[in-house]
Amino acid sequence: MEAVLGQVEQLPALLAVSRSPLVRDWDPVTLDRALEWARYFQHLHDRFLARPQLREALGRRLRRSQPYPPLGFPALGRCPQLLGLALLENRALPPAACRRLLRSLLQPPGTGIGPEPRGLELLARRKAAARLLALPQLQADAQLLAEAEVRAEAELLLRRLREERQEGGEAAGQRRWLGRALEQLPQPRALAVVAAALALLPPAADSDGDGSSPDGHPASAAGDGCTAGLLLSWLLDNQERFSAFCLCLPGSRLAFLAGHYSQLSTSYLDLLTCWGSHLHYDPLQGRWVKSGLDKAEVSWEELKERFSRLCQGSAPLEEQTRAALKLLRTRDGDFRVRGLSVWTDLLMEIGY
Amino acid sequence: MAQDTTVPKLTFEYWLDKAIEWGQATTLESQKDVCLHLPQLQEFLHQLYETIKNLQGSTIAIQRFPLIGQLLGRLCWNPFVIGYDESQKTLMWCLCCLYSSEPQNAVELKANSWIRSLLCHLLCSSKWESNEAETSTFISALGYTSADYYCHLVKNMVISLVTELRENQFNGLKIQESTSASRVKAVSIFCVPLITLPDLTPLLETLLLYHGGLSKEILSLEFLEAVNEAFLKKKITLSESAVFSLWLRHLPSLEKATLHLLDQLFSIQWNSLEEVVRVIKDSLLPQAASHPAIFRIVNEIFKNALMETDGTSEVMTIIQVFTQLFLQTHQNEYKQHKFPLKAYFPYHHQPLVRGLIRRPFELPTAYWSQHLKHISDMVKALVEDTNTSSLIDLFEIWFLVACFGEWVDIAAEQLLKAAVEPDAVLWLLAFYYCPKNENQQRTQTMVEAEAVYNHLMMLFSCADLSLKDLEAAVHRVMGIEQCCNQRLTTHLLTNFLLFSPGGHKLAQKCIYHITETTDTSTGVYNLLIRTAYRFNHSGEENQRAVKLLNELLQKLTFKV
Repeated sequence: MEAVLGQVEQLPALLAVSRSPLVRDWDPVTLDRALEWARYFQHLHDRFLARPQLREALGRRLRRSQPYPPLGFPALGRCPQLLGLALLENRALPPAACRRLLRSLLQPPGTGIGPEPRGLELLARRKAAARLLALPQLQADAQLLAEAEVRAEAELLLRRLREERQEGGEAAGQRRWLGRALEQLPQPRALAVVAAALALLPPAADSDGDGSSPDGHPASAAGDGCTAGLLLSWLLDNQERFSAFCLCLPGSRLAFLAGHYSQLSTSYLDLLTCWGSHLHYDPLQGRWVKSGLDKAEVSWEELKERFSRLCQGSAPLEEQTRAALKLLRTRDGDFRVRGLSVWTDLLMEIGY
Repeated sequence: MAQDTTVPKLTFEYWLDKAIEWGQATTLESQKDVCLHLPQLQEFLHQLYETIKNLQGSTIAIQRFPLIGQLLGRLCWNPFVIGYDESQKTLMWCLCCLYSSEPQNAVELKANSWIRSLLCHLLCSSKWESNEAETSTFISALGYTSADYYCHLVKNMVISLVTELRENQFNGLKIQESTSASRVKAVSIFCVPLITLPDLTPLLETLLLYHGGLSKEILSLEFLEAVNEAFLKKKITLSESAVFSLWLRHLPSLEKATLHLLDQLFSIQWNSLEEVVRVIKDSLLPQAASHPAIFRIVNEIFKNALMETDGTSEVMTIIQVFTQLFLQTHQNEYKQHKFPLKAYFPYHHQPLVRGLIRRPFELPTAYWSQHLKHISDMVKALVEDTNTSSLIDLFEIWFLVACFGEWVDIAAEQLLKAAVEPDAVLWLLAFYYCPKNENQQRTQTMVEAEAVYNHLMMLFSCADLSLKDLEAAVHRVMGIEQCCNQRLTTHLLTNFLLFSPGGHKLAQKCIYHITETTDTSTGVYNLLIRTAYRFNHSGEENQRAVKLLNELLQKLTFKV
């Protein structure tokens, strides 16, 4: 077993080399050897899939050198594809080795090379399908298309987080890694992906629930709770980020998430309070207006819309929102006259 | 140079012109045109690959086909072509052939670099495509590849289209009806190249179940044909309701499915009726026939098959099994969803339909001969009624009896197994084998049948029979010119051999003799597998008969 563990420890290096200029020295024999290793790792994956202890041992060994992106046991199964596609994109690979790569990746009939990562045809077909289905004659609504893209990224993010958790990675490391991965996306997109991921997690993830999830594993429900926790802490630990998050998402969406995650609803209400306190009443216009030049604020209309969305949510959420507003009104002196307290006016508008 | 010219220059130029004309297929016209040409183009690409696969390096290939780069490059950017069936595979193979392992000159170097760009374009979430740059780095930061990403992306795009179509249908947006109809049609056209991609299945099903407010077909005909084709070739699996909806809205597809079933049944050797049952069930046609319109059309096709084959016993068996399977589905349906029997047999005498539709196992065995007499009397009355004497009417009555041929098989069996009044039951058999009575053929057949029957009954209780005793009956089988009488006599004789105490010893020899010297072997074989099926499913007390039947079938299997 120690020998196998030693071999597996080489994987991060192999993948790193395949993405580096070092492949310029590869000849067809080196390439074949690399692909053989990839196949061997895949074979190990299939063999140890149903043996938790060995899985864990392999995963631990893979993480020992702290590779980036982090690798876990499931990466072994994806090895031929990870390696093959990385090499295909690496322009440093010399022609002779590249020709060998193409032959074994695409496996034209009669080349007699052993079984190879199947499914590159399927990949090309899917990519074409994605382009076809995105044609404007088909997509009446560009918004829907963008949502599908964001959801795909969110699903992969969740899949990865679940894999990490099953691998038993420690929380601090995961948080670091999550932040680094999300940094690859422009901020509005990263926020949209996190929102989609939170919406995709089964409802029981935050509260205790009945302990089951769509795939029927009680453990996975608890795990989804951890995943949600990880995403929420990324979002909430940075006030600026959370404020941007709330600004770029519509009120309905936030109300939905607030209904599912109590941590989020509290922070969201705090943020709304902060936004509201920046409004001041203009007696000439007879309405509440933004006070400063700060972009990170919302207008009276939008504030009203966001509060009323919260009040249309679940009963506890509505209760929490109303209680917060009433407390604020009391703090402002509890006068029931328009134009004195933004909270009084909001409560009247919403109909309490 | 060019030793083999499997790719004529002319087609090469034709496809290049097409590729230029299509561009990246952005207009609906060009999209339709691409879809129309996809199968031929795939064939062409395959020929091209076969031609260039043995050429070393790109220089020689380029000398032979100076425009090959332009053609392949353009096709790689056309998502319809890449999405279609196996075209992407062949295209990538072609590119692979053009890649030089030791580039000798600037052209080959350039070609190599160009080929890698094309492959990256086809396979990677490429860094050069504007909106995907960040996605690509994000996906690899997660430790995934483009394969994982596109799998999720396509699934989500399909879900989003499915949701939208369903909502559209439920809301029945009257105002935008015409625009939404043209959009649904566009969706169906765009699906054509992707039909065999499993991720698309939910979208295909939603489209097949989608009905616009208009009475006109809203989906493109190419789409309907292609889905049916893929389903029949088992390249895709669809939910039953989607398949039924396809056949209901597009009759040519239903016809094709029925003919496909017949072809399939004729192309295999039947080892048992169970096998026939399985194939027919797999076709989903008996289940689909719960819709009366489908039932009636399938039966029309069966009628044609009967006329074209002159009523061979295989077709008769198929029709009989199909009807049984249809009845099973019909009986299992919830009462409130059930169509009345009249919907399936609108022009037939309803009491006769009700009589025939009773499954034998629903009645006590003792009641069978009485039930048969009842059926026979009704048929006789109908046939002899001067109002229904046209040939077409006669054919319809006969076809109805043939659909429920299980009762005819039981009739022949009852004659030899039970104490029955033979006249009515014999008449039913005579009608089944000889429906026409223009020149008194049926009357003649009846006389013949009675003679054979009386002769066999005389021998029935003899424990010690010889082939000589049966000679008279056997002679009738062999010497008769009228083939319907021959078939009827064979039917009776076979049952005699199975059920009489003395017959079993002679059975092998006698059947061998008959099938060797006449062309009745398929008929006998069909009769035997039908009987075996009935024995297996309703149980037969006469164990000797069961054993004999199995032996006979084993011998005949090798022969037929």
